[in-house]
Amino acid sequence: MGDDPWSQWKAFAAQTPHHAFTPFLDSAECFAGAARKYLETAAHPQTTDEAARTFSHFLREQSMAFFQPPWSADATTGGAPWAAMLDAPALGLTREHQLRWQRTADAARRVAEAQRRLQCLWSDALRDAATAFAARVAPSGIGTPRVGAPSVATLHSLYDSWIDCAEEAYAGTAHSDSFCNALADFVNASSQWRREFAASVEQWSKLTDLPTRSELNSLTLRLKSVEEQLRALRLQHELRDAASKPRPTARASRTRRAKRNPKS
Amino acid sequence: MTTAGLYAALAAANHCAAGCSQKDVVWQSGKLRLYRYRPTSQKSTHPSRAVPLLIVYALVNRPYMMDLQEDRSLIRGLLAQGLDIYLIDWGYPDGADRFTTLTDYIDGLLAGCVEHILRTHGLDALNMLGVCQGGVFSLCFTALHPQRVRNLITMVTPVDFHTPADLLSKWVRKIDVAAWVGNGNVSGDALNQLFLSLMPFRLAHQKYMDLFMGTPTRAQIETFMRVEQWIFDSPDQAGAAFQEFVVRLYQENSLVRHQLEIAGRKIDLRALTLPVLSLIGSKDHLVPRDASLALEGLVGSKDYTTLEFALGHIGMYISARAQHEVPAAIARWLATR
Repeated sequence: MGDDPWSQWKAFAAQTPHHAFTPFLDSAECFAGAARKYLETAAHPQTTDEAARTFSHFLREQSMAFFQPPWSADATTGGAPWAAMLDAPALGLTREHQLRWQRTADAARRVAEAQRRLQCLWSDALRDAATAFAARVAPSGIGTPRVGAPSVATLHSLYDSWIDCAEEAYAGTAHSDSFCNALADFVNASSQWRREFAASVEQWSKLTDLPTRSELNSLTLRLKSVEEQLRALRLQHELRDAASKPRPTARASRTRRAKRNPKS
Repeated sequence: MTTAGLYAALAAANHCAAGCSQKDVVWQSGKLRLYRYRPTSQKSTHPSRAVPLLIVYALVNRPYMMDLQEDRSLIRGLLAQGLDIYLIDWGYPDGADRFTTLTDYIDGLLAGCVEHILRTHGLDALNMLGVCQGGVFSLCFTALHPQRVRNLITMVTPVDFHTPADLLSKWVRKIDVAAWVGNGNVSGDALNQLFLSLMPFRLAHQKYMDLFMGTPTRAQIETFMRVEQWIFDSPDQAGAAFQEFVVRLYQENSLVRHQLEIAGRKIDLRALTLPVLSLIGSKDHLVPRDASLALEGLVGSKDYTTLEFALGHIGMYISARAQHEVPAAIARWLATR
């Protein structure tokens, strides 16, 4: 195990049965490798600009994985086997069920479309971050390279600089109308997909005589109404009691503090 | 500390319990618990300190952040100032709470806590400290029941939800919240994902890298893990209340327009004439300072104080600087009122 913290972490990760740190360790290792390469290459004036471009390109690529959603967009695109039924006319006994599945599929398609727009915007933000970072680490910037092994402090400083650039670029994108619209479309389409899917699940639940969420909601609302009426009656009762008794003085109530008990 | 040592220390700190001050449950209703903290100070009681201070926490995270550990506890600081502290823990809503509304929370549960405290102390009014969303609840409650609150303190509380720096507000403005919520609750994990997305590089990457690259002490690791627990120990949100909060406040900005309705009554902040103290974190990325500063121009109070700290949202409760400055500032302000 070497002195370099990234090397230490990498070696340690290989020994540990758990992989909670793995993304960070891999990320650190990749970053350290790319940063070293950048510092070596950028030490020569004729390759400085190219080194900055290569380094920023690496950071952009690495950070894209950071935004990768946990599901695959391919499953919701036109390539799916049921895509052909999207425009089929709804006829006969099963038409309501078919329409529900068509709405579900359409919502899934819109989720995927919004997700692709978001990823494009994330990619743009990373491009801007990489450009800003390349400018910052150019010879006149903070990361002025020099020949020799980079110190941990140098790597840390480069990393912090990248984070600053990334957050700044991301904020610019995240505040934009196009991002807000894409995010809203994504959430709204996801909501519709969930609602349609839940309706299908309810249909199957009824067929098998299982209680549905709609039935539970109905009962919950009835119970809530009863509770509210009960609370109102209790309040009326307490107010009537309070009106018939003298209000305790502050001194009297302080003596009661030692005796207080939880009340349900 | 070696890498293996740090790994082991983090794992050992997995179960560090948050919360350090002694407290008792003094009232409960459903999942709500009202705590009263046991006094730690023998300070002479100034007349205003005899009036209890009720801390109204937000629904979106757990209230133990106010009392995280001995050296990071706003509550401990307030107790040391001789204040009598109550804290509301709203609990973890489940599917049966999905139709709980803002009226239920503010005019039902919060009102129940206030009534219990006033009855216990034989008082007509108490002091109230609302934190973040809890500050909005406190403003609403005070507008509905002005005679029940003697002094009001808002801490990192959003009031104007349409300020330019409010990214969360921009994001949710075009979302169909009724469809998002449906008839259910909103997952705490989904909200966390949203909060992390506000500054993803710092919140989901840099803070861990800094930890791994540094040489933290055991105490720092334990603090880190307690904060980590607090960040991700997020209750689901009762659907109906969540929908009202996002639509009425984030989308319609109805509080600044005096149009928010709770319990069938308009919340008119101009009717608030009691002393108000607003505590603001100028580096707050969740509640931008301008969102809190707006309150001064909206309330009718002539006794209005703003105290701004160069801290972030969480730093307002747990930073070393906050421990020294915030409780003392609150106690000083209350002592003269």
